[in-house]
This record gives sequence, C-alpha cells and structure tokens, in this order.
Amino acid sequence: MIRFRDASVVYDGGVRALSNLDLEIGDGEFVVVVGLSGAGKSTLIRAVNGLVPLTSGHLEVNGREVPGLDRTGLRELRSEVGMVFQGFNLVDRTSVLNNVLMGRLHRVPTWRTLLGRYPADDVALAAAALDRVGILDKARVRANHLSGGQRQRVGIARALAQEPSIILADEPVASLDPPTSHVVMRYLKQISNELGITTVVNLHFLDLATAYADRIIGLRAGELVFDGPGEDCDAAVFESIYGRSLTADDTMDKQAAM
Amino acid sequence: MTDAAVDRLPPRPAPGRFTVLSGLGALVLTVLTARAVDFDPTGLVTDLTRPNSVVEGLLDPDWSQIWSRRSRRAFIETLQLAVLGTAGGSIVALPLALYATDYGAPNRVVQVVLRLINSVIRSLPDLLWALLFVSAVGIGALSGLLALFFFSIAVVSKLTADTLDGIDRGPIEAGVAAGASNTSMLRTAVLPQILPSYVSFVLYGFEINLRASAVIGLVGAGGIGERIQFFQGRGEWDKLWGLVLLFFLVVFLVERISIVLRRRLV
Ligand SMILES: Nc1ncnc2c1ncn2[C@@H]1O[C@H](COP(=O)(O)OP(=O)(O)O)[C@@H](O)[C@H]1O
Ligand SMILES: [Mg+2]
Repeated sequence: MIRFRDASVVYDGGVRALSNLDLEIGDGEFVVVVGLSGAGKSTLIRAVNGLVPLTSGHLEVNGREVPGLDRTGLRELRSEVGMVFQGFNLVDRTSVLNNVLMGRLHRVPTWRTLLGRYPADDVALAAAALDRVGILDKARVRANHLSGGQRQRVGIARALAQEPSIILADEPVASLDPPTSHVVMRYLKQISNELGITTVVNLHFLDLATAYADRIIGLRAGELVFDGPGEDCDAAVFESIYGRSLTADDTMDKQAAM
Repeated sequence: MTDAAVDRLPPRPAPGRFTVLSGLGALVLTVLTARAVDFDPTGLVTDLTRPNSVVEGLLDPDWSQIWSRRSRRAFIETLQLAVLGTAGGSIVALPLALYATDYGAPNRVVQVVLRLINSVIRSLPDLLWALLFVSAVGIGALSGLLALFFFSIAVVSKLTADTLDGIDRGPIEAGVAAGASNTSMLRTAVLPQILPSYVSFVLYGFEINLRASAVIGLVGAGGIGERIQFFQGRGEWDKLWGLVLLFFLVVFLVERISIVLRRRLV
C-alpha cells in the first residue's frame, strides 16, 4: 500500500515537482504514470523509496511513514521496493548473474559480498528471477554483451531478486525500440499479476500506457490531473494532462512509423 | 588549379594574450633565477672537461658486482621493499580512495577526515618519507618499507580517486535503491568498474617504488641505495657504476613487463 497525503516536493532552486499530492495505490495494482517531461513523474516514483525526500506532507509505504525513516529504516523500506531504470543501471564489467545478485544485497552479509561468496539460496533466487524474464542462459555473460531489451530484462530480474512487494519503473522502455518495449512491458505486467507485486511505471507514450495500465495517473506540473482506468483516458483527458492535443510524438506506434 | 583551397585557408589566429604573457613570464623568470644563482655556462664546461674519477668509472664500469653476495642481497632487499611496500600501500589506498568519494563516504565527517589524510600523504615526496622513518625507527630496511608503503598509498590512492570520479553512477543508484549497505554497494557497483585501472595503478606504483627504493637507500633506508652509498664513500666509482647499470637494467626490464601488462588491462 502506497499512500500520499498532501505530499509536496520542492527542489533546491524552488522547482515544485510534486504539489499537494493525494494518491492511494493498493496492493497488487499495476499503475502507469503519464505526463510531460518535467511533470514530476520521476519525483513521484523516487519519493516512494525515499530517494527523494518529501518537503512536506505524508507518505506511507507498506505501513511505514517514509519521511520519518532513519538510515536503517530507509534500507529496510528499499529492500521491499525493487526499482527499474531508464538507463538500466547495470554494471557492465561483470556478469549478468552478479548484476542480479545486487538485488540480494539487503540480505547478504557485507563480508560475503566483499568476498563475492553469496549464499546458495540467494543465488537460487537470482537464477529464478533470470528464468522468469527468459534469460537464464545469459547468466554468465558479461552485462555489456547484451542487447538493450535483454539489459532491461536483467534490470527487471535484479528488482525481482529482491522479492519485493512493490516495483517502481522509471521510463523503463524509453531507450528501447517499439517491439522490445512491448516485450519489457509484458514482463512487467505479467510479473505484477502473477506475483501480486504493486507496480508503478512511468511512461512517455500514451498508447503504451493505455495498452498495459489497470489504472492511469496523469501528472501536470506536479499536480494530479487524472486518475482512472485506461479506457477513460480519451482525447479530452489527454489534453488536460499534456495541455495540448495528441500528436504523433505522443504515441509509440505513430512515432515508430515516422 | 589556381584557386587552391590552401590559399583560401582562413589566416592562422594570432596567439592569445594569455599565451604571449605566460611565455614572456616564463622567460623573465628563467633569466632572473639564473642570475640569482650566479649561473655561469663557462664553469660548466671547465668542470665537465676536468679529469674526473667519477666519469672515468662510468666509462669503465666494474661488472663484477653481479657476483658479489652483498650486492645481490641488496638487490633482493630492494625488490622485497618495492613488492611489500607496493602491496601494503595499495591495499590501504583502495578503501582510502573509496570512502573519500561523495557517493562512498559513510558520512561527511569521515569524508573530510579521509580527504585530509589523503592530501597530507600525497604532499610528501618519497625521500622525505624515508628521512622521516630513518629518524623515527632508525637506519635499515624497515624505514624503507614504511617509506615505500606510504609513498604507494599516495600514488595509488590519487590515481584511483581520479578514476572513481569518472565512473558510471547508474549502478550506484541501483545499489542504493536495492537497500545495499554502503560497503556492499561499493564492492558490487563500483569496484568492478575500476578494478582494471586499479590493478594497472598498482603495477605503476611498483615501477615507481623500485626506482624510489634506490634513492631512499641513500639516506639509510636499506636496499641497493645503501650499497651505492657504500661505494661512493670509498670512492670506488667503477664498482658504483657497475651496480647502477645493473639496477638500471632491472628497472628497465620490470618497466617493460609492467607496461605490457598494463596495456592488456585497460
Ligand atoms: N535534483 C533536482 N534538483 C532540482 N530540480 C529538479 C531535480 N530533479 C528534478 N527537478 C525538476 O523537477 C521537475 C520534475 O522533474 P521530474 O520528476 O524528473 O519530472 P519527469 O520525470 O516527469 O520528467 C522538473 O522541473 C525538473 O527540472
Ligand atoms: Mg523522469
């Protein structure tokens, strides 16, 4: 359960990236956040695992009040929240398996990570995560030898290896081509459904959002301007989120056709 | 081909004011210092042409030092000093550099303290370290070892710190977001990125230390330098040069090997 109440984030320099946000995301939901670049999508996602602190207001995640957490509390929270990044954030110079094992760091004793000797059940979890995204055979390959789509699947496996109750994905397909984007979105959706993991995905393309989201959240200048199921997200709603009518730039299929 | 492109090249820009001024400044400074120390080129020529036993020794070096047990022991001591000093210093340099970065420091206080330690260690040259430890723990190989240990920390931690500034921050973010401890994050997200460079810095540190070990021996810190000083004291220049040339050969070989290895790493 993620619950924002009157939550605001103001960055140094005065940018109000989240403005008095009230939002509740229930367990197991698959939510897509859309909005223009700069609307505050990344800020919203990063607030959930405490990477960005709230300036004011409340945020409760899995029963914890995030703004009050100390360093240990934050690590505990983050251990329950997997994160998938636009730039994949893999370590190129090491194996796919080692990358996925980073998802186990919250549980593995530090001396073991120093020696690179992970417990067998953690390795088993990492392998299972790789298997779920269909690239177990690449486990011993160096991460930089993979294609973009494969790299993002490693990113998902790393998040999955945490055994999280929440997955946050910040524009996970923004650096991928359309077919690969669909593959990655399908994995995210499938994992959320089968394992009951609450998933929040930031997306730039509206057609991709409506194709996968159970629920769409529209942000504009840090404010919530739409919250509803994908089928309600028509042209009028679109204008309210983007402040203009739909263009080819806003849908992946049309942009790919250009 | 009358209208050749080369004729239509835009004119070469005039040298900037900064270039001209700093060039002039350097010239003036050189002349002034030469006058201040009474530099006299004719004196240099007379000194060099005067019969000189040191130069004669160089022209006819005594290679027999290869067979001398004491010289060989000094050689081995020098190698041991360089290996141990480099290994120990490099091991300490790694955490010193890692925990002083803005992403790796556990807190501000640790970061400030480590950066202070780093800059103090880096500001002292090898010979000064040797003098320091010769006065503190006395003449002998232990002083040399300590000197090279600290000197290695300086060299390796400086180079490693520069590499750490330029790494990909993405994996760090992933580690932090996964709830990793600071040290686990550094080990898994940062170390793989810098490891090849670090190993090459360690090799480079070894090269430098091998050379430094000869110099620090001159102030009594053990190794081949002490033996060189011994021949110097007795005026046995041919033996001294034989030893120096042998040392040069060893350093040259080690450097070649090290350069080949380093090239393969990065
Ligand atoms: N670290 C930061 N410091 C200052 N301003 C920031 C920072 N991160 C984001 N912003 C600003 O906050 C606003 C929202 O940013 P962001 O959450 O990244 O939006 P989005 O992900 O929707 O593009 C933007 O105006 C952005 O420039
Ligand atoms: Mg963003």
